[in-house]
Amino acid sequence: MANNKSAVLVCTCGKQLQLDYELIKNAVSKMKLAASVTVHDLVCQEEGLAKISELIDKHDGRVVIAACTNQKLQPRIDEYLKSDGKNSTQLQYVNIREHSAWVHENQEEATRKSIDMIRGVLARSAGSTLRQVEKKNVPSHVTIVGGGIAGIEAALSLSNLGYDVTLIELEEELGGHVIHLPVVAPTDKSGKEILAGRLDALQKNKGINVMTKTRVKFVEGEMGSFTVHYTTDGDEDEKTIGTSAIVMATGFREFKPTMMDEYRYGKNPDVLTQFELSCMLSEGALARPSDGEEVKDIVMVQCVGSRNEEYKRDCSKLCCTFAIDNSLSIIERVPDAKIRVIYMDIRVPFEHEMIYKESRDKGVDYIRGRISRVWEKDGKTHVQFYDSLLNQYFEVTPDLVVLSSAILPPDGTRELSETLGYLIEDDGHIKELYGKLRRNETRRRGVVAVGGVTRPQFVSEAVTDAQAGALMLHTELQGGSIESVARGAVLNVDDCVGCSLCAQQCPRGVPLMIEQTDIEEEDEEQKFVFIASIDTLLCHACGVCQSLCPTGATQLNFLSNEQLWSEIEATLEGAGPDYPITLCFYCEECSVSTIDIVGTRKMNYPASTRLIPVPCAGRVSIIDILKALESGASTVMIAACETDRCHIGGTGNEIAQVQVDVAREILTAIGWKGKRVDMFRMFSAEPERFTTAINEMVKRAKELGPTPVHQGTSGKWMEASK
Amino acid sequence: MVEVKTLVSNPVLVIGAGVAGLTAATQLADFGIRTVLVDRLPIVGGNAMDLYKAFPTDDCSYCFEGSRLRPGIRKCFYRSAILDQPNIDLKVNTEVTEISGSPGKFQAKLSVGPQYIDSKKCIMCGLCIECSNAFCLPSPQCQPQAVIYDPEMSDEGAKKAEEECPTKAINLGAQPSEETIQVSDIVIATGYHEMKPVSIDEYGYGKIPNVVTQLELAQILDPNGKSGGALVRPSDGGQVKRVMMVQCVGSRDENYYPFCSKICCVYALKHANIITLERDGTQVTVVYMDIRTYDRHERYYRVARDAGVRFVRGRVSRLEACADGTLDIIAYDSLLDKYLKFNVDLFVLSSALEPPKGSAELIESLSLHPASGFVGPADLTSENAVVAADHVYVCGAATGPAEIPESVTQARAVVSMILQSRK
Ligand SMILES: Cc1cc2nc3c(=O)[nH]c(=O)nc-3n(C[C@H](O)[C@H](O)[C@H](O)COP(=O)(O)OP(=O)(O)OC[C@H]3O[C@@H](n4cnc5c(N)ncnc54)[C@H](O)[C@@H]3O)c2cc1C
Ligand code: SF4
Ligand code: SF4
Ligand code: SF4
Ligand code: SF4
Ligand code: SF4
Repeated sequence: MANNKSAVLVCTCGKQLQLDYELIKNAVSKMKLAASVTVHDLVCQEEGLAKISELIDKHDGRVVIAACTNQKLQPRIDEYLKSDGKNSTQLQYVNIREHSAWVHENQEEATRKSIDMIRGVLARSAGSTLRQVEKKNVPSHVTIVGGGIAGIEAALSLSNLGYDVTLIELEEELGGHVIHLPVVAPTDKSGKEILAGRLDALQKNKGINVMTKTRVKFVEGEMGSFTVHYTTDGDEDEKTIGTSAIVMATGFREFKPTMMDEYRYGKNPDVLTQFELSCMLSEGALARPSDGEEVKDIVMVQCVGSRNEEYKRDCSKLCCTFAIDNSLSIIERVPDAKIRVIYMDIRVPFEHEMIYKESRDKGVDYIRGRISRVWEKDGKTHVQFYDSLLNQYFEVTPDLVVLSSAILPPDGTRELSETLGYLIEDDGHIKELYGKLRRNETRRRGVVAVGGVTRPQFVSEAVTDAQAGALMLHTELQGGSIESVARGAVLNVDDCVGCSLCAQQCPRGVPLMIEQTDIEEEDEEQKFVFIASIDTLLCHACGVCQSLCPTGATQLNFLSNEQLWSEIEATLEGAGPDYPITLCFYCEECSVSTIDIVGTRKMNYPASTRLIPVPCAGRVSIIDILKALESGASTVMIAACETDRCHIGGTGNEIAQVQVDVAREILTAIGWKGKRVDMFRMFSAEPERFTTAINEMVKRAKELGPTPVHQGTSGKWMEASK
Repeated sequence: MVEVKTLVSNPVLVIGAGVAGLTAATQLADFGIRTVLVDRLPIVGGNAMDLYKAFPTDDCSYCFEGSRLRPGIRKCFYRSAILDQPNIDLKVNTEVTEISGSPGKFQAKLSVGPQYIDSKKCIMCGLCIECSNAFCLPSPQCQPQAVIYDPEMSDEGAKKAEEECPTKAINLGAQPSEETIQVSDIVIATGYHEMKPVSIDEYGYGKIPNVVTQLELAQILDPNGKSGGALVRPSDGGQVKRVMMVQCVGSRDENYYPFCSKICCVYALKHANIITLERDGTQVTVVYMDIRTYDRHERYYRVARDAGVRFVRGRVSRLEACADGTLDIIAYDSLLDKYLKFNVDLFVLSSALEPPKGSAELIESLSLHPASGFVGPADLTSENAVVAADHVYVCGAATGPAEIPESVTQARAVVSMILQSRK
């Protein structure tokens, strides 16, 4: 490498940090990878930013900034440099404030820690490469699966945003469940009226191609180049369309409780589900199915199949409102109808409460209790129920028994997941990327889910969902010209041995295994039928594939194996038994926040700790852990996000856990102590999770004493890639 | 082909910088639309700033989505880089006092409070806090990441801080100002206010210190708070052994708000579970009419029952403060048809979520449709919850009580609609 030295810019934070800057300056200027050292008082202010810009020019972009948390500093510096026309992709950061000066009382120790971490990051910087903005054009076409209200709204939204849209519907008619609703609370309007405007707009829109009686079979490819395979109208011949992204809007399915003997559904024609009653009402045909007689007396049963360990554990959310809506519709038609609703809790959100009240005022009788059984006798339907407030059983003979049956995911959700790559929730719905903030995206890039397929939703919620889902795709596709700095995994195809670990374990399903069709006969030995392919622009830069790849074929372009290994080694220079060091790899999501907040709150912990950031805990491999021990660390910990809360898509931290578990087994097997390695979960609302963890590892470092490396009794580990 | 990066000159005004407003502003900014984001408080985040852990994920409440500037699935408030987003003009301590003009060309008059601290300059070095009690860091997660100054607490040290602040970020003489901006669209993200049930005499709120609301309880449980997360009695800091929660305080009540506040059951049980499972040996009893844990939130109810939280369907009929700081309570259990006696250390009210101050004026000045005091949709039949009027949008709890995930989804829908209208 021509020049892999970096300029180091050390900030005093307005002269407020208790560090020995003379010592830092001296030590750093002696480091072989440091081109220069500058101590500055305010790196984050105008003058400091200008200084960075100047250093970038002088040192070909290789600058190490030792200051406060990069979580705040980096965006500001990036913006400044961008407007200055500079490339900031090689800048590296060391946090000497929140991660050192603010948390260690002993100035000498904090200074030493800061120097070690600067040395480490200089090594990382030496291996850094310049990254540029890359562009990619993709067709501005999106396919929507499902033509209920969410699918229709998504089609209109995407079309308005400038995309060509294909809308695929299984049935003959668009409109899904909504078209059958007699009233949609709180609008007072029928489902048909609510749909009318949208169907009209759809008709007039030239950019939306509607295909009814069409079934999606499976999908190939990735964002920007999906191929959807489908069949139309019973025709067995499979056809395809190319598309850049897919919206899943396949709605929901109402549970048919035929197996719940107590309700006689499917056996007694006068036992209906709530949705069947809705259809009856919206067709204006309220009558007893068994004999067409007038309906005067109705029993509605809530939570049929819902809140039930056997069928659906959770609440279906909509059925209480549906029952009330239908009760009011019935009363409008048959004012003297007697309606009893048997329930556990009536769950009606916000203003629906007022409709609930209205129904009570109009005479609907709400009975807290449960049905014991339904049976037929003398041509009548008998119902026995228990009233838990009166602690009494009652028997009635209604004309209709209406079951508020559970809302379930639609058929085919699981089958499509196999090729669309989204994950499935425990309840069978499509799993969202992150429950608090990312409801429409799925694990798979370029696939969003909207409406009932993700969870039971009211009509207005499904509409909002569709509008939001459209925006999320627009953010991804950027109108067809995707432009971003390629920060992520880069594959060296020649090194790939086709093991498919990356494709199996990538939290976002980015690597694809491509069949090699043109393998030459001679090199039978060398032939791999499948080889990975990774589009760096689609990658989320966690490094899971890198930590798993047996050959180092896939590596992050901002944190190669060489970079991390040399950083580990440099950080731990001089680490020995006298001052046992705990090395902590921390993910740059919840863990960095937790550690930063510990800093901001100035919560103390021992300074015999060295911190190395990784984008996701899943980036840390067994080899990285062993390298740390080899370089002199006494204990090694990984700080990661909570279980199932990985920022990348749910599994990076679990992969890290596996690496830690295996590393511990290896250590124990070779006569070390597995306890030298551990992993901890954290988030910033509970900062003491970090201090507890690191105190524990520092304690273990002391208790477990010198490592075989310190004692000179261990061999060197072989790198797996050599 | 869609052109995305055009800088549309007509800015959008987002009123309220809670999770909803923040999401709307960052998304708009990502698409190159200039956004003026105002909040009357000195920091962003709104109510989410004070919730500690949030359902449905049980991790911090103070995070929101990433942006192009901060890619990722989510980012804490402190690292959201709102201040450094070139398309966002954040104005805290600011209120919108008047809106005139016509859709697409609104004039909004802003009254901007004194900017004592230049938050772009403050580096949180802590020097001023050492000098004077008038400065404080509102929360380690606060955004802007800067101290705030309270002129009422000013002392000698404040002057010294002003002189010695290493970045010259302090201006004690700052004055309020007014400005009028022209915007094409308005996004209402004013959120909710948790009702302070002082007027409901029977619960003694505001008179008895150990009677608190759920939001106040969240702050007691917060490890970043005063007691470091220990569940203590406000009256004397003593350990809490028994807690009673009462649901539907001011909600579902014709005398106050006839609507259901929709999420109080979920957060009450969230708190009940934290207390029962993570704060040793504390017994929680919940007095309720219906437990409304919709959809997957049912999990909180299941966990609560398994954890040993007691549920009493009925109502509290008497509450009396004892000399030792505890409370004697008599509750009617409608399932058992019995009156039950309790003695607790802390009595927690699941108080109604009401429209924040100023909502009525806002609704009036823009001729919007009220929904129990919150902002309703322009056209009910369209089922377009986020469109409040021509060029006026609404998201988050400003539409009525809403949880964070809903608020965020709605904010995205708003941005979607604004972009659609500009194509
Ligand atoms: C005790 C409690 C626990 C909760 N727990 C959870 C939970 O675990 N998970 C969850 O998802 N949700 C929870 N919530 C709900 C959560 O608080 C809301 O979903 C969320 O805060 C709504 O965000 P918002 O942006 O819509 O409103 P807000 O957070 O209320 O923000 C609105 C902002 O607008 C500002 N503002 C208002 N009016 C004006 C004006 N006229 N001019 C300028 N600024 C104005 C306010 O100052 C505020 O900053 C909880 C609520 C409570 C009360
Ligand atoms: S909405 Fe009502 S009927 Fe439906 S599952 Fe929930 S509580 Fe039961
Ligand atoms: S870095 Fe992570 S997101 Fe990217 S391809 Fe590898 S495993 Fe997938
Ligand atoms: S893990 Fe490595 S070797 Fe295996 S398929 Fe992926 S890139 Fe190829
Ligand atoms: S002294 Fe200045 S820079 Fe330091 S915390 Fe106070 S205002 Fe901020
Ligand atoms: S959510 Fe629960 S506590 Fe809140 S008003 Fe509704 S029923 Fe009452």
